[in-house]
Amino acid sequence: MKTAGGSPVFLHRMVGEAAMNRPDAPAVRCDGAGLSWQDLARRANGVARLLLDTGVGRGDRVAVLLGKSLEVPAAFYGVLAAGGALVPIDPKSPVDQIARILRATGATRLVTEPSRRKVVADLLDAKVELSHVVGLEPSEATSVHVAAWSAVDQLASDRPPAVDVDGLDTSYILHTSGSTGEPKLIRHTHASALAFVEWAVSEYGLTADDRLSNHSSHHTCFATFDFYAAARAAATTVILTPAAMLMPASLAQVVERERITVWYSVPTALVQLLLRGNLADRDLSALRWVLFAGETFPDKHLQRLMELLSKARFSHVYGSTEVNVCTYYHLPESGEVPSPLPIGRPCSNAEALVVNQALEPVAAGGTGELLIRGSTVMSGYWADPDRNRQALVRRPAPGGLEETFFRTGDRVRTLDNGNLTFAGRADLQVKVRGYRVELEEVESALLALEPVHEAAAFAVPDGEGSSAIRAAVVVDPMAVVTHRGLLDGLKKILPLHAVPSEIEIVPSLPRTPTGKVDRKTLAKMQFRDGDCNE
Amino acid sequence: MSETNPPTAGEIRRRILDFIHDELVAEDVEVGPEDDLLSGELLDSFAVLRLATFVDETFAIGMKPTDFVVENFQNAAVLTDYVVRATEGRSSAG
Repeated sequence: MKTAGGSPVFLHRMVGEAAMNRPDAPAVRCDGAGLSWQDLARRANGVARLLLDTGVGRGDRVAVLLGKSLEVPAAFYGVLAAGGALVPIDPKSPVDQIARILRATGATRLVTEPSRRKVVADLLDAKVELSHVVGLEPSEATSVHVAAWSAVDQLASDRPPAVDVDGLDTSYILHTSGSTGEPKLIRHTHASALAFVEWAVSEYGLTADDRLSNHSSHHTCFATFDFYAAARAAATTVILTPAAMLMPASLAQVVERERITVWYSVPTALVQLLLRGNLADRDLSALRWVLFAGETFPDKHLQRLMELLSKARFSHVYGSTEVNVCTYYHLPESGEVPSPLPIGRPCSNAEALVVNQALEPVAAGGTGELLIRGSTVMSGYWADPDRNRQALVRRPAPGGLEETFFRTGDRVRTLDNGNLTFAGRADLQVKVRGYRVELEEVESALLALEPVHEAAAFAVPDGEGSSAIRAAVVVDPMAVVTHRGLLDGLKKILPLHAVPSEIEIVPSLPRTPTGKVDRKTLAKMQFRDGDCNE
Repeated sequence: MSETNPPTAGEIRRRILDFIHDELVAEDVEVGPEDDLLSGELLDSFAVLRLATFVDETFAIGMKPTDFVVENFQNAAVLTDYVVRATEGRSSAG
């Protein structure tokens, strides 16, 4: 193990280092409570020892099913310190989905909390093979071994257990929903996770004085930044509760009270803060970086937010669970928002290639699919050879060797100044009566209309073998908005075939666990007849 | 609102819970006055906004953005208290 100043090589060793260097500094905070680095290290070592007692071996998958709480980092680092492979599970997943993830990863151990007793019972009823559950009160009538969190505390220790781990061992397997409902299981190693962590700490100059927000659920790639990059810098992670996230005015109070210095989320969360967070009454001057990723940030909202948070720098980061972050763009300090907003340049540890359908590089300035090679890229989808063949492509490299690139599925263009700009998801292109329409273009046209706060466009079958475009919008509650007004506005911006056949005005848009617009759910929703708000 | 007399706290609470059961949660989910509405696993942001809109319109509150905080929405009981305060404020303000 290397000491301070060197690279710790493994995620869990960052906690030990932080505990050695800053034992009493806050590691994590949630809902007014917190754990110091020493507390966290001791608790994580307790989880690790308990798991080792259950017979966990190197690389064995251990699932973590927790809501937003101080137990999350203890469970994460505990699994890793035991040499296990972490499988964080979205606590909002239905039981069927959790069962699929446990079966597919072969995780037989689960770390959870007492409020999830019923979910665990349902999993056992569904014949999921669990051997050990940590975090429930033991009860006699169960076939699995159960240990409570108090058992973890009894094993808490400053000393991590001695286990062998290699940088190429699995650190974690993250899941995303996948368009067919079958989860994609994305395997990262300690090396690929740490490559991202090192880049993030260096690029954003993270120090022990920083306080990072944790907005997204712990199973997303956003949490990789929130927890692990914070740990590398011995900074504090402030876990935001679901209650605060549902109430933007409360969320703004938390950001002020906890003096958050670095924020990272999808744009939606920031738009909600802007529109309903009562920001003018809050002192958010501690914020020095605002990072956003995952979807388009409407220009007008971004501009306004940058004016309100004039002390903070803004950074548009681009990536996916498969690659962590691979390109980034810092918005100019002048406060000007370029349109379209670039996704920027590749990170220092990534190489970007723009290719045509034959996977050959396109000429400079051309549009094509973005391929990424680099040390932050996942090693592959777990137990999914078909998906790996599609997504991970081999290209010739010097020396008669080959290198692996990840196909992002995103179309981009290289600007003259070297920045990349996003040109749409390959799978968000739809054909309407023979015309190709980019759903994102429809959304930006809607957002260009004055009263529209949020917009989502999606395709539904038109019953005649083609697609019809529909849209849902959230509008300024103070504005008088009619369908006719919206449609007339759109017709000035969009070609007729791209104008949605129906626009529904809704109080808010359904979101995926990371906060992206859930177009699938929208397409399934039954639109009411009749007029919009009076 | 159609009633001539202002609704009682009990009536407000019943209508809030009825709306939650009828419109926002699955059929087999039981929600009591003290149950946490903001755990993130009962209601999503879409449902919370629908609840706020329902309360605002049904009880003619004229909800301000600063009212949209955890303290007023954590459960049906505190939401009822908020509605009572807001409607009292309205009648005393004329």
